[in-house]
Amino acid sequence: MLAYAIKRLVQMAIVLWAVSVIVFLMMSFTGDPVFMVIPIDSTDAEIEQARRILGLDRSMPEQYWLFLQNLVQGDFGRSYVFRQPAMDLILERLPATLEIVIVAMLIAAFVAIPLGVYAGANPGKPLSRLIMSGSLVGISLPGFWVGMMLIFLFAVEWRLLPSSGRGDTVEVLGIETSLLTWDGWTHVILPSVTLSLGTLAIILRITRAGMMEVMRQDYIKFARAKGASRKDVLYGHGLRNALIPVVTIFGLQIGDLIAFATITETIFAWPGMGKLLVDSIYRADRPVIVVYLMLVALIFVVINLVVDLVYTAIDPRITVK
Amino acid sequence: MHARTPLRHLLAGAALLTVLATPALAQDETKTLTVGLTADAVHLDPQAGEELSSNIMFYHIYDPLIRRDANLEFGPGLAESWELVDDTTWRFSLRDDVVFHNGEPFTADDVVFTLERLKASLMANLAKNIESFSAIDDHTVEIKTFQPYAALPNDLAAILILNREHVTSVGEEQVDLQPVGTGPYELEEWVKEDRLVLEANEEYWAGAPEIDRVVFRPITNPATRTAALLTGELDIVQDLSVRDVERVRREDGFEVITRPSLLNLVLALDMREKSPTIPLDTNPMQDRRVREAIARAIDVDTLSKVVMNGLSTPSEQYVPETHIGYVEGASFREMYPFDVERARELMAEAGYPDGFEMTLDATNNRYVNDAQIAQALASMLSQIGIDLELNLMPRANFFGYIRVPSEQSSFIMSGWDVPSGDAGSMYAVMFYTRGVKEGYGQVNRGSYSNPEVDRLVEAADSTPRIEERDAHLQEATKILLEDIPMIPVHYEQDIYAARDGVVFEPRTDKFLWAYEMDIED
Repeated sequence: MLAYAIKRLVQMAIVLWAVSVIVFLMMSFTGDPVFMVIPIDSTDAEIEQARRILGLDRSMPEQYWLFLQNLVQGDFGRSYVFRQPAMDLILERLPATLEIVIVAMLIAAFVAIPLGVYAGANPGKPLSRLIMSGSLVGISLPGFWVGMMLIFLFAVEWRLLPSSGRGDTVEVLGIETSLLTWDGWTHVILPSVTLSLGTLAIILRITRAGMMEVMRQDYIKFARAKGASRKDVLYGHGLRNALIPVVTIFGLQIGDLIAFATITETIFAWPGMGKLLVDSIYRADRPVIVVYLMLVALIFVVINLVVDLVYTAIDPRITVK
Repeated sequence: MHARTPLRHLLAGAALLTVLATPALAQDETKTLTVGLTADAVHLDPQAGEELSSNIMFYHIYDPLIRRDANLEFGPGLAESWELVDDTTWRFSLRDDVVFHNGEPFTADDVVFTLERLKASLMANLAKNIESFSAIDDHTVEIKTFQPYAALPNDLAAILILNREHVTSVGEEQVDLQPVGTGPYELEEWVKEDRLVLEANEEYWAGAPEIDRVVFRPITNPATRTAALLTGELDIVQDLSVRDVERVRREDGFEVITRPSLLNLVLALDMREKSPTIPLDTNPMQDRRVREAIARAIDVDTLSKVVMNGLSTPSEQYVPETHIGYVEGASFREMYPFDVERARELMAEAGYPDGFEMTLDATNNRYVNDAQIAQALASMLSQIGIDLELNLMPRANFFGYIRVPSEQSSFIMSGWDVPSGDAGSMYAVMFYTRGVKEGYGQVNRGSYSNPEVDRLVEAADSTPRIEERDAHLQEATKILLEDIPMIPVHYEQDIYAARDGVVFEPRTDKFLWAYEMDIED
């Protein structure tokens, strides 16, 4: 187990280093950040002054070396545009993104898994067909369209929920959250539902496929024969064995939603970190992009690790090594 | 109707919630204005950078020495009056009844500190004409310019005064998060990307604001902004989407307000011997007839109608009529009306009956419908045989790419605005011969050079009297309209929508200012 953990840590370090190199290389092809922060008619002397202030007067390898040196000391660099530590900019927006992602994943899990189990166990029934066509709609509808329709119906036409923004928050353990206020919840619902749709449909289809496979196995017949209840057969014996791919996809989707909830955040003016990434790309704000993508890589690595551990819990035959 | 019942319950529940959620109903004394902006402010430190949202906040929190009003008229701000001591020395008398939000009195030392800090900042460009400055006494400041410069008051309207005591005590970086100025509003709360709340400064020297609380909400997606206005979450929105204009007009209780912006979309023509993207030995655009042909081949009315949905104003000159240097009655559109026949003749006369190839560099995310405009230009110019290749790029790449010496560009589409209301600053950087004088010609992308224009720009920059400056610049305008180093296309329209009861008049500089607004219910 220890060897496994060390191996994983080394892998992680390599992934993070690779991400930083790639981003540095990529950013040398995009625009010059200096022109994003100074007036267009600045003179050469003013441009030089700005470069010095931003540390852009050094060569690319030198900048990268400085970045690594600072990184070791826990300094992730400063945004060219905001002039604040890049990590702080991201971390102050992270809780808002996590909120809608967690709620979206809960919606997806609690809706998709029972429906998927039902559709997988009763493939021929009309309700199953309905569920399956519904899931196709969920996969094919673009998120921005769904978001706009939800705003149009629930906010503009029916006046049930607010159209955008995060609403009231309270501070718990130093983190602002809107999940503990009523106003916050009214704001969370629409973006979370929008965000959950794609994931919901994918998980539903994977659960169904797994269930159809599993339900043909002998041990299901055996469980039925020994008189286990229908619920027990479906969830205890069936779902448990169909769960491995579901967990894998679930993990990947969480990472994906955290890192790239950009569109949903933009539509609902949700103050999350996805929008920061897009804005930073537009502004050629390299320090923020580097830290953002490294953080995303870290999140994916951690999620994969957790998923591996969950495998062993679901299926005792699997061990980590 | 069983199906209806649950919905009705929901609606009743929601109505109840709305009531619970707005205890503010009881205290209708406080007037709160909620504004939907296109983006969150990036800075609250006016020397750290600038873009529209930040600028809007700056003018709520800080004051300049000279105040620019909604129609680009300049008047007293923190400076009560000013006089010219000699051709390059200005003396400003400051108000003595002004207090910063932190309680510190405003003095000449704060002005000196502001200018010192500005000179060393990213925004040093704002002080480019200022050579030195000093405090004469607590409420008098002297500013020297490098050369006689009549537009100094216009420049000063963009320099916002900081408090020395505050900046030194909180540290450089915190100024961005904890701004302290003398302005009509103070920062109450800033939740990045969600809301920025300002509270009225009851002690404001020009009188307490009518609106007690202003909430700015950044909503990037235009359709969401419209929705939030219609649901009553917002009182007023900036940049109403062109698509939603009709929808909001139809709705009761809302008003759409438009005003031509200051941003002039212009096409810069390369005038060098040989042009980078034209595969010919000499550059055809050196010939004035070719430039005129291009101007005549562009149908700005069609652009306005088809591409801009009627929400643009064709430009008459390089600057709007409110500006110093605008020539009454002169119109690029009347001089070179859309006329393909005449344009073809001119091309033939110049020796290019079959046209030529070149590339247009333009943005695709900076100006309203910029990519579509570029496409329309390509089809218009194909009428006179010019085969226009489009090179569209995001603005992050664009401004570095086209930067002087513009070694890859022949034909560039970009926007230019002069909120200081003075053509001189534009002509000096865009039309003065490049590379001969520091601070001049650095944005002269087409390498235009006319000694007469250079002389006039210099003359304008060497008189401390505004009427003389205006006269010189008007002469320059006339020559430029004749020479066509650049084709002015149109001004975008600024579009706002507000609910009834919001008293609002759009500003030319687009800086929404709650101090000038009110709510009447």
